[in-house]
Amino acid sequence: MNHAGPTPVSTLGAIPIAAVLAALRGRGLWIELGAAVLRVQGDAPGLVAQLQSVYRCHPFLTQSGWADLHVRIERPHGLRRWLRPQVVFESDGRVPFEPFPADTALPLLEWGTNWLIGQRLNHLLLLHSGVVERGGRTMVLPAMPGSGKSTLTAALSLSGWRLLSDEFGAFDPVERMFRAVLKPVALKNASIEVIRRFAPEAHLGPEFPKTRKGTVAHLAADEEAVRRRHESAAPGAIVLPRWQAGSPTRLEPLAPQSVFGAIAFNAFNYKVLGAVGFDAVVHLVRTCPAYQLIYSDLADAIARLDELWARLP
Amino acid sequence: MTASTGKVVTQLAWLGAIREPREALAWSLADWERVVRVARRLRLLARLAESLESAGLLEQVPVEPRQHLIAEQRLSRFRIAAMQWALDRIRAVIDDPAVTLVLLKGAAYLGQGLPIAAGRMPSDVDILVPLDQLADVRARLLAAHWAHTELDEHDQRYYEQWSHEVPPLVHAVHPIELDLHHNILPPTARTKVDASLLLARLRPSRWPAWQVFDPVDQVLHSAAHLFYDSEIRDRVRDLVDLDGLFRHFGARASFWDELPARARELGLVEPLALAVHFCVEWLGTPVPDGVRGALVDGGLARSRRRWLVPMLGTILMPQEPDERSSWQRGAASWLFLARYHRWRMPWHILLPHLARKARLRAGLSPER
Repeated sequence: MNHAGPTPVSTLGAIPIAAVLAALRGRGLWIELGAAVLRVQGDAPGLVAQLQSVYRCHPFLTQSGWADLHVRIERPHGLRRWLRPQVVFESDGRVPFEPFPADTALPLLEWGTNWLIGQRLNHLLLLHSGVVERGGRTMVLPAMPGSGKSTLTAALSLSGWRLLSDEFGAFDPVERMFRAVLKPVALKNASIEVIRRFAPEAHLGPEFPKTRKGTVAHLAADEEAVRRRHESAAPGAIVLPRWQAGSPTRLEPLAPQSVFGAIAFNAFNYKVLGAVGFDAVVHLVRTCPAYQLIYSDLADAIARLDELWARLP
Repeated sequence: MTASTGKVVTQLAWLGAIREPREALAWSLADWERVVRVARRLRLLARLAESLESAGLLEQVPVEPRQHLIAEQRLSRFRIAAMQWALDRIRAVIDDPAVTLVLLKGAAYLGQGLPIAAGRMPSDVDILVPLDQLADVRARLLAAHWAHTELDEHDQRYYEQWSHEVPPLVHAVHPIELDLHHNILPPTARTKVDASLLLARLRPSRWPAWQVFDPVDQVLHSAAHLFYDSEIRDRVRDLVDLDGLFRHFGARASFWDELPARARELGLVEPLALAVHFCVEWLGTPVPDGVRGALVDGGLARSRRRWLVPMLGTILMPQEPDERSSWQRGAASWLFLARYHRWRMPWHILLPHLARKARLRAGLSPER
């Protein structure tokens, strides 16, 4: 499937800022996420530098034959353009959210695009989970409150696992494969420091201190994840993480029926997909061994998961 | 056709693919990108998907837009199933042959299995009961765990006295809202419809206990709903529905004889004339010449035609995906809203109502 015109010359991180600015204010910037192509436009201040940071390895595309999502992040007309300035998220003639303060353009783009993906990509079953891949098999990390799903997903992506997504387990019910929705990993509050300590060389974008979820920063997807963004991957195992202070690493097998709920009822569009969604989840829980991972030491947890993968049937 | 009308038709040419899906196979990827974006906003994308699938052509669509068609189709089928289930449960709750239950709009099209029933994107279920049965039906629904969303005293009074419907009803188990009507237009409006005339000509639907308006009344209701509603942006879908109704019911010759007469009887000549005008000009709906002439010339005074039709045309025309709003569109929208408010309520009720809304929007307390 042909996604863009000629082979892109360079990555977003390497391009002069003026070129990215021109694209955003002109016809737009196309960002290939794997399962979807995002087109971004707008005059939001600061957005250029933010995009160049957290999408640094993504190819710099100023034209494409297709985009699935068309988004504008821009300054509103009227008072709020100047007074306590705001930015607005607009897509296809609709403004689905309240404006954000102008210095949080990137979080608005990220959350807004996630919302659009959850609404639109109903040809796929969208689990609410992180997904990483190793040796051609995926590890699905369902998002449960307090699970530290994003922290673990980020750490795995820095430890030799290929990142597909930190938010969407985008499962094609026909091909029965997972597809990448490759966006930067969103880290919140304490997780930011955890990842900084875990991998000091990791490329974190700017911190946004006053969002409605606390302080947010983004880990850019690395070169390999970007290069392989169009590669789908077969299901491997389901791991329900739970961070528990002081706990030794424990990996406990779970029966399929106890994982069904965690996978199905947490999915963004399970209800909409009806029977298709049900069959897909049944397939996943029957073919993937499932585990509960309880841990406090990130590096030790990852070592256990590496071990698990070596033994995977 | 004037030059401007020619342009209008070209801009909407893609709508033809809903009836003739084969036309879509000639589209480039750029054409598809535009159609997917506009059709989704107009709530017509699933309709296009269902047409293509019925014609066995979906697999021939390029994969990029095909994914969007499939996605929207799933959303549509989910919502249609939710609507059918809610209607089935409401019937089970009411379960009383003495109660008259009437399906409106999308629910009616579904209940009759009309061609325009496929690919709908219902956000709520519209039903109607006679005014003298309203309190009883409402009580039974509330007892079955349907509930009104939180409303203050002013809003409650708005609905009780000035509206043709009760406040929307929601249910913990049903993903869709219920709108319970006793008339098709508000009692305070300048155009009043006698609901008993509509109720005298009900027809059965395919579903037990549920009835629908006479086909002529369904067309008139659709036209009134389009041209007498506060929100006309992105309402091309209603024109597409009207086109579908004209084609389906218009196959019966007597339909065209009854239509103008019934419009006069109900006082809905103007919305019908506007509906016929736009359907013929924009969608090429086949309307017998005699009918068309009588309606448009008789139904629309020349003076109104000079400003009303262009104004409505400006707002009804869907905005292109990357088009920024023009001043013409803004001015037309303002005029339209002013016209709507003047129609909807007499001045002595309207002004306090609007003042209250303005205070709420500015973050002030609603009472002075």
